[in-house]
Amino acid sequence: MNSKPTQRFSPFGAIREFFFAEQAPYGIALVRMFLPAVALAPMIRRFGRVRELFSTDGTPQQLFELFGQGHPLPVLPPSFAVALYGIMIFALICGIFGFRTRLAFLVGAPLYAYFNLLDAVGTNTKYSVIAAHVLLILAVSECHLVWSVDAVLARWKNGRPATAIPPRVPVWPARLIQMLFCFVYFGAAITKIQTQAFFSGEQLRYWMFSDWNYENPVGEFMATSTPLLLISGYITVVWEISFPFLAWRPVGRFFALGVGVLFHVMTWISLGLWIFPLICTSCYLAFLMERDIVAIRRFVHRLRVPTSLLGMPRFAIARAIEMRPTAMPAVMVWLVLATLAAIGAAEADYRIDLYGMRSADGMMPLKTIPRDVAIAMINNARPLREKDKFFSFDIGSRLIGGQLANRLSEYGYGDAIVAQCNINPPHEDLWVECAIEDSDKRIIDSSGQFVTRDALWANFTYRPGSMLAHGDYWMILKSSGKEISRRPFKLSGDPASLPSMAPMLTN
Amino acid sequence: MRLKRWASVLFVTCYLLSLSWGVAAHALKVGIAGNTLSYFVVWDMFCGWQAYDNRTHLVGEDAQGNYYEIREPWGAFKPFGNVDRMNYDATNHLVPRHIEHVLSHTSHPEINRVYVVQEIWPKQFNVPAHLWNYNFREPMEKVSYFHLRAICSENGSTIESYPDWYNKQTLMAVADNPRLQQAAREATPYYNTFFNPAANNIQNRFQATSDSDGLNTN
Repeated sequence: MNSKPTQRFSPFGAIREFFFAEQAPYGIALVRMFLPAVALAPMIRRFGRVRELFSTDGTPQQLFELFGQGHPLPVLPPSFAVALYGIMIFALICGIFGFRTRLAFLVGAPLYAYFNLLDAVGTNTKYSVIAAHVLLILAVSECHLVWSVDAVLARWKNGRPATAIPPRVPVWPARLIQMLFCFVYFGAAITKIQTQAFFSGEQLRYWMFSDWNYENPVGEFMATSTPLLLISGYITVVWEISFPFLAWRPVGRFFALGVGVLFHVMTWISLGLWIFPLICTSCYLAFLMERDIVAIRRFVHRLRVPTSLLGMPRFAIARAIEMRPTAMPAVMVWLVLATLAAIGAAEADYRIDLYGMRSADGMMPLKTIPRDVAIAMINNARPLREKDKFFSFDIGSRLIGGQLANRLSEYGYGDAIVAQCNINPPHEDLWVECAIEDSDKRIIDSSGQFVTRDALWANFTYRPGSMLAHGDYWMILKSSGKEISRRPFKLSGDPASLPSMAPMLTN
Repeated sequence: MRLKRWASVLFVTCYLLSLSWGVAAHALKVGIAGNTLSYFVVWDMFCGWQAYDNRTHLVGEDAQGNYYEIREPWGAFKPFGNVDRMNYDATNHLVPRHIEHVLSHTSHPEINRVYVVQEIWPKQFNVPAHLWNYNFREPMEKVSYFHLRAICSENGSTIESYPDWYNKQTLMAVADNPRLQQAAREATPYYNTFFNPAANNIQNRFQATSDSDGLNTN
């Protein structure tokens, strides 16, 4: 009998292999190129507002204040704040191209976190938190070893020829970014599970009807279909919980990441989020391992795409840096350029003159408000209209998850007529009535129910059977005796076509 | 090299422990209140949306009874779309600072009071016209409700403050109950800060001192 040497399984060995296997850092280098570029987009947009958002001459509001922990971060005078801001932008751009990469991220990451923490109202969001995490990981990683200016300079310095064998380093920085997303999605799923009315679609609908993010016309359309929101909600939570269990499976990871990309694209078009999806999908590049890059390269070579063009910027920058005096180290070039960025930023802020303080007309005047308009705003004790307590009223015949799944205006005998009203919280306990009115304005049927303050919708189900004559009707919603809304419907067909009832057995 | 490896192990361990703490604390709702660092490890990106939309308006009044819009004449910053930055201040920490900032950077007569007003409307009125017709099939009759939230001085300090519109609606909904109102009227709040019987072991102390300098009940 042939015996096979058994290999003992060691959990520590598996963990060691998971975090410290050596691979070429292609994935993390891609994150280095894409994530800072995305994180910089909103920061560059704020460049003209640094004085207002992050300096003593503006209205910064530290995140610590929201948690009742005072102002531990120093707020700088505007010129210094703008200069630091310029250094942050320069450092992150250097990170993208991989010029003095570690120094760039060691300077850029804390400054990025600092400026975000200074403006908790208009800058700091969860996407900036994710970006801060990844910038920190990039700072301690070896992401500069491939596809960077540093790598080009090192190769020229050592006189090594271009080689197909890349440098290999422990893979743990990429693993940390991968695990960060497992925690992000798992935590997000917990939040949704704890959020009342997420699984009935109301929360998503109210978000889609909000204008707090960028334009979201697709979301506004989606919000009109509650079953679609309900199904989307369940799919999202299932995917978020399963992500950590699939992300490292050979086939499962394609599903987890594919659905992830789709999910983030949907948050863009349905919720109006721009930066958040780009931050997340650029971090997905950390999931690309060495063998994936090899496979992609083979595929691209087969297509005869001139990929060498992609390296042109870093070679051009490296050539420019090599033109420095030989006695001058590359880090000095970095420091000189950072200083120029700081001075340039401060000068730009001075010329922008955001508040117009140095203009010939002096300070800008406040806009006046007509007295009647102002008084109407200040002394407006108008109670909420009854109809504003209701979001919508519709009739259909089918429910999914308790919510109306279709809208109908024609019914046949034997159909169920379901009327549903959705109510905007917060609301008091309501007495809501639903009445059927015929074309001669006669009330045929009326029923009511208490809708308690915790309820977000109420359903009224009618089975007219052969009780109603065919013709045109109105379904009328009333609250506190006032008409809120009405929907027309037509009853057609032949009541005789209804199946006769089976005889009832009472014993 | 060995030191570098141990430093890596330490970094990985600390990082994963902090992420684990965030998820566990968030799931169990412990240890995250009043902790700024928790914001960096708690992933609560979807924590609820309200049914009504709102905007904050600041109305300044001078001694002659003229009213002014306390808004940046150089253009308000809109961080994430078309809404002014001040409206993202859910906790109202920014309002006093914003008032002081705008007034100190603009020309205007002396402002005596600044009214902080919430404008509220149901979110269904945010729907574009074509979707309104498709979805609601009735005339769009949007009404905004204005609610006085606070009155501030020129330097932004609060003179009077009132519950915000959402809290007021909730309070009114709960208070709209005669039985509850009766119970509230009959209950007498009692909180004595003069002495603490448990802390002072008042029974023994009273007996020990009653003959000399005990409490005088007359």
